[in-house]
Amino acid sequence: MRKLLRHPVVATAIKALGRNRLQTGLTVLGIAVGVATVLAMMAVGAGAQRSIEQQVRAAGLNQITIRAGNWRPKVEESDEAIAHQGDARESLRHPLERRRGDVMPIAFHPEDDPMEKHDHPTARQRLGDLEAGLGSAATMTFDDAEAIRRLPGVQYVAGGIHENVRVHLDQKRWFTRMHGTDVMMPSIKRAWMFTSGRFFTAREQDRASQVVVLGQVVADRLFGAGANPVGQDVSLWNQSFEVVGVITSATWVVRPAPGDDQFDAVYMPYTTTQRLLNLSKLNDITVTAESSGDISRLSREITRLLRVRHGIGDHESDDFTLITQAARALTTGGLPPSVARAVASNVAELEKVTLEQLALTMERASRTMTWLLAAIAAVSLLVGGIGIMNITLLSVTERTREIGLRMAVGARRRDVMRQFLFEAVVISTAGGLIGVIVGVIASIGIARALRWATVVSPLSVMLAFGVAAAVGVFFGWYPARRASRLDPIVALRRE
Amino acid sequence: MIDVHGLAKQYQVGDHVVHALRGVTLSAAAGEFVTIVGPSGSGKSTFMHILGCLDRPTSGRYLLNGRDVSTLPGDELARVRNETIGFVFQGFNLLARTSALDNVELPLLYTRQGVVKSDERRNRAMAALDAVGLTDRADHHPSQLSGGQQQRVAIARALVTQPSLLLADEPTGNLDTTTSHEVMEIFARLRRDRGITMVVITHERDIAAYGTRTVDFRDGLIVSDVPNVAREMVGHR
Ligand SMILES: Nc1ncnc2c1ncn2[C@@H]1O[C@H](COP(=O)(O)OP(=O)(O)O)[C@@H](O)[C@H]1O
Ligand SMILES: [Mg+2]
Repeated sequence: MRKLLRHPVVATAIKALGRNRLQTGLTVLGIAVGVATVLAMMAVGAGAQRSIEQQVRAAGLNQITIRAGNWRPKVEESDEAIAHQGDARESLRHPLERRRGDVMPIAFHPEDDPMEKHDHPTARQRLGDLEAGLGSAATMTFDDAEAIRRLPGVQYVAGGIHENVRVHLDQKRWFTRMHGTDVMMPSIKRAWMFTSGRFFTAREQDRASQVVVLGQVVADRLFGAGANPVGQDVSLWNQSFEVVGVITSATWVVRPAPGDDQFDAVYMPYTTTQRLLNLSKLNDITVTAESSGDISRLSREITRLLRVRHGIGDHESDDFTLITQAARALTTGGLPPSVARAVASNVAELEKVTLEQLALTMERASRTMTWLLAAIAAVSLLVGGIGIMNITLLSVTERTREIGLRMAVGARRRDVMRQFLFEAVVISTAGGLIGVIVGVIASIGIARALRWATVVSPLSVMLAFGVAAAVGVFFGWYPARRASRLDPIVALRRE
Repeated sequence: MIDVHGLAKQYQVGDHVVHALRGVTLSAAAGEFVTIVGPSGSGKSTFMHILGCLDRPTSGRYLLNGRDVSTLPGDELARVRNETIGFVFQGFNLLARTSALDNVELPLLYTRQGVVKSDERRNRAMAALDAVGLTDRADHHPSQLSGGQQQRVAIARALVTQPSLLLADEPTGNLDTTTSHEVMEIFARLRRDRGITMVVITHERDIAAYGTRTVDFRDGLIVSDVPNVAREMVGHR
């Protein structure tokens, strides 16, 4: 560093900039303000974009579920249509009725579902559990999931097997939903939080280990609220499972409640389910798209892919059902409040558009914002750049004799050019450096004070700094060239 | 060393042409000390700029050490100025707020090999300051030096690349009589000890007498060119 500061070009630049300390300072300030603004705005823009994306993802707008079989359930949400009972002896109620607060109880039991197929009914007998292996319609395979994973625009893929099970802890038991699923699931379910422990690992999935993650409701019912079940064993299908984690909801929008599909549920590797129940098929495949605006295209591609893979002729109907969360949310009515807040200001006549269109609108809006910010950035840097040009021209004028002298003792035009260009770049990068620091602090400040999400990425820092340097080169070019074109005799004679 | 033939220089000022030089022919061998005298506007400075490769003649030929430099491209001329020629100006032309040592180092930033390494730069600059007897003022800024000392720093700067030709345009113009003679003694000594060819412009007859030869300019032409035998004797006094 010291050596660098002593390099003649650097030393001369420092000395020269020291001559007009005030002007140099003001110009540095100008660039710094420009760069800081750019950075803070980029941070706010990226933050807004990210929080919109997150809300959209949390609402599952970028999610596609492909279910085996082509039956249309009477109940829109068969996932949620889980029969539930506090006690096994209590009769199960149809969730649709329950949700509507209907007083009329209708007897309902998962085994009554006429659409369910069992590819290996004997598993129950083998395991000695009469309910094992129920509810497994079977047209999709793990290879289907792998094929979908390879489609462009796909973010995560998780194959799932779903069962209604009884979970036993000593004498206590709880009738709930079992999801044999993929390690990727926590990435898809962004609104999950671990009360304790962890999700099962890829290794456990590979080995089909007998590990289970409990939903909060299940954990509370079996172990009591506040207890930590991690490390203890529960049994399903008369098999012992080690509890590795407990999940609950990460947002206030969703609260764990008995009978819900996510937290009144247990999770295990789908491989474990396949091994124990002797299944080779998947009930469903959950896919998330990298971009929520991409859902339609991806849906079409998945449909095409699966029809080919399943050898379905042109006039035959699908042997699977593709459901997007967007369609689902609309039919079940109402938007999740977080999404509603995010989009309400952007779209008039909310009820006329699908959520997917909303997502697209939001993405477009944030793109517009990005362009707006780019325009602001351009203006502030243009002003800073003119400042640099001004001070460099001033410097050239003041130092005309010095330039003449340097030429007289052997400086070539390019040496003079390099010197002044360097001085311009020193000003702009100094401004860039200060601007980056101020911008980062400002972004954090905005995040704290206004509770806005801001994202300062290394790329945006590098970009802001690089732009500052480029401004120096661009606006220093003309004065530097002017200096290098001076006639040494004329320059030496200048007062 | 210097071989100039039929050198002419014209300037276009508005619609009329100024003839600064009208055909100057002059040869100087290595180690000569040429002083140039003449009235103001007679073309002395113009001639010296061409000798110093700061300017090109409109017509005529200039051989420096046998090489025709009148048509060289700019970068080549810069190299010649750096390696072969040292300049001393009337107004010293030192960089303000810069130590004597740094001022002397200046030509070493632009050598054929690029920027000379800082240790070597320092050593060579100190040696040059030693030649003008100013090593004890190396850290002083120009504003802290007298006129004579400033001119000696400027001479050291001209010497630092060890040129074979030293050009000085009225180097004593801003100095009092005593200091003027001190400076001229330095020139005479450099010629004697190092064999550096000197060309010095001056108004004053007694300064011109330091030369081994005095050339008189008038209206862009040389009107007299006489050896200065007396000076040789004075030099050995
Ligand atoms: N750059 C220039 N443009 C126009 N005329 C010039 C220029 N430089 C010198 N001259 C003219 O050339 C003549 C010679 O000038 P100069 O060589 O400086 O004389 P001296 O040094 O002997 O006083 C003068 O008439 C001067 O006005
Ligand atoms: Mg003159």
